[in-house]
Amino acid sequence: MGDARFVVGIDLGTTNSALAFADLSAGSVEAFAIPQEVNPGEIRAEALLPSFLYLLPERLVGELARKRGVESAGRLVASAKSWLSHAGVDRTEAILPIAAPEGVERISPVAASAEYLRHLRTAWDQAHPEAPLASQEVIVTVPASFDEVARELTLRAAAEAGLGEPTLLEEPQAAFYAWVGRHEDWRERVAVGDRILVVDIGGGTTDFTMIAVTEQNGALQLERVAVGEHILLGGDNIDLALARTVAARLGRVSAAQLQQLWANCRVAKEQLLDPEFTGDEVPVTILGRGTGLVGGTLKAALTRADVSQVMEGFFPLVESTDMPARQSRAAVQEIGLPYATDAAVTRHLAKFLSVNGLELPTHVLFNGGVLHAPAVRERILEALRHWGASARPLEGEDLMQAVARGAAYYGLARHGRGIRIRGGIPRSYYIGIQSSVPAVPGFAPPVRAFAVAQFGMEEGSDIRIPGREFSLVIGEPAEFQIFSSAVRKDDAPGTMIDDLTDELEELPSMEVHFPASSGTHERVRVSFETVVTETGLLQLWCVAPDGRRWKLEFNVRERIAA
Amino acid sequence: MSKISLAFRCFFAMLSHGQLTPELMAELGLFRKKDEKPAPPPPPAVKVSDGALQLLGILQRDGRLLDFFLEDIAAYSDDQVGSAARSMHGPCREALNRYLTIAPVIDGVEGTFVQAPSKDPAMVKFLGNVPATAPSGGMLRHRGWAVKDVHLPALTPKQNITVLAPAELEVE
Repeated sequence: MGDARFVVGIDLGTTNSALAFADLSAGSVEAFAIPQEVNPGEIRAEALLPSFLYLLPERLVGELARKRGVESAGRLVASAKSWLSHAGVDRTEAILPIAAPEGVERISPVAASAEYLRHLRTAWDQAHPEAPLASQEVIVTVPASFDEVARELTLRAAAEAGLGEPTLLEEPQAAFYAWVGRHEDWRERVAVGDRILVVDIGGGTTDFTMIAVTEQNGALQLERVAVGEHILLGGDNIDLALARTVAARLGRVSAAQLQQLWANCRVAKEQLLDPEFTGDEVPVTILGRGTGLVGGTLKAALTRADVSQVMEGFFPLVESTDMPARQSRAAVQEIGLPYATDAAVTRHLAKFLSVNGLELPTHVLFNGGVLHAPAVRERILEALRHWGASARPLEGEDLMQAVARGAAYYGLARHGRGIRIRGGIPRSYYIGIQSSVPAVPGFAPPVRAFAVAQFGMEEGSDIRIPGREFSLVIGEPAEFQIFSSAVRKDDAPGTMIDDLTDELEELPSMEVHFPASSGTHERVRVSFETVVTETGLLQLWCVAPDGRRWKLEFNVRERIAA
Repeated sequence: MSKISLAFRCFFAMLSHGQLTPELMAELGLFRKKDEKPAPPPPPAVKVSDGALQLLGILQRDGRLLDFFLEDIAAYSDDQVGSAARSMHGPCREALNRYLTIAPVIDGVEGTFVQAPSKDPAMVKFLGNVPATAPSGGMLRHRGWAVKDVHLPALTPKQNITVLAPAELEVE
């Protein structure tokens, strides 16, 4: 990394990806236009790379893949990133597209993400043959709500794409870095004690983060104090809800017609939400499928009332104590993404603020395409006012490219050319320990949780966990139950929790393999050590008194059998 | 993958140097690499009509223009024709603006007196009571249209340009 000329920020998005870069000697951040096939045989450089992969007859990434997917959905991989964070499936197994017809190869969410990154790498390397991406400092953004496994899988995808080991950065933080990068006078715009809420609503996901402005030795500091859960809810859901509303008026609508309606409703919605637009409805005509264009045309319109009704469903004015409806889990579920059951973004926001015990924000930073609409931004501010906050929006950022730009700015900040947000790891981590109680048939022995990493543990630090040693058998694999929590922030390493509440989420188990050195079945006493690498990766190690160390690895495949 | 990579390299070579490197030409099979001397220029493979067919194909692909003009619309109401025309208008307009740079010949206000920028009858047509020698100006009735630039994608020899839209068969 020593000879890197550029820092490169990659926003690996659910529906769109972007790349921005900064020359380390110049220091200003620029967006990179990404060449991609947009029509057969036509390559064009576009600001965004649609995160779609079309599989046959050859792998195709970007705009043309997206278009092809509308015609033949079974060959299209979409939302790979949402699958990457879905603990209910084996994310390294070839499962996408779920509805692939016979003979169409499937591909794993990790491999699909790697394809997008490989496309970006190829495009970059062609434009900068003297400075290939693999030898630049690369920062890849992930949702703040990504757990440790999803982060590791993102890194695995980067490695498969030949990017080495990039640094990971949380998207809402990146959006905030972009704002800081744009406003050299940002220190005059916020003050000590301010709390900045980052609301990021993309095509498929919603993410919240709170950043506090603090002070140390007279200088302003930024500290990320809370991150929200992973919510699979975004602009695509809104557009689909609008399309369904219009389709209900038309009567029978085929799947292909609904697709056309979906795309038309997105455009019509943007028009209706534009404050300059004064009409009450926008036509969303579905053209006839065959050569009989006019004869087969279905005439429909999206009205202002439709939009406000659907928006009311997604952004209702709720009380600050409201909680989203609980996910009801059917015993047998079709394999699919765990979409949010409650579509109300404002209710998810109320939950984020209350479970984290946060004070109301003083500022709001918006990010993501949905928030282009002033009406949506105003509704979120209105909800915050209703809860008693007088939050002001931080304006002036490009909602689609902010994350990639912010990531590049963060790269500069790591070289001491800008402020860094102090954040550390976004969750606390625990190891499950089975209580030694007399066995009762039919009851699993209760599990207690032993804290090994605390929320906010900083990059580049390590800690030996006091108070507990384990006896392990050399030559046999040992397995550990792992839990995490974004809410419990005060559990210092070594704390033991007796009651496992909903606040703890179980992750795939971790394994450690002890190579048998001489005699088999040697027992060794170990204690735990937690390391957060410079790139923000959490590592757990077993350390023997004689200094031998073994690293624990997530067992992604294991979970599926359970 | 190698095809995409090749396409990228061609793209950037054209972008930065305005021409393909000998290596790229060889990979594309435009001439054999062993011949150090460049091959004599091949006879033009592109016919003049190809560009017209290509543009028609694009307008059909993006805006369904052929479907519209080749359909008998006599039986349909103005309302129905209107809503179809409206939804085609956007995509067709976008395609024209993307692949051609079109500008008025005279960028003036129609209905006002303007100077003729040229004596070329292809550019300026005089109407009405026109004297034997062309006057220096007149009342602007139509601003005219001229193509300033063409950005149509390069055609590959394999492409069958006479198929303006493929037939579509759906598999249930």
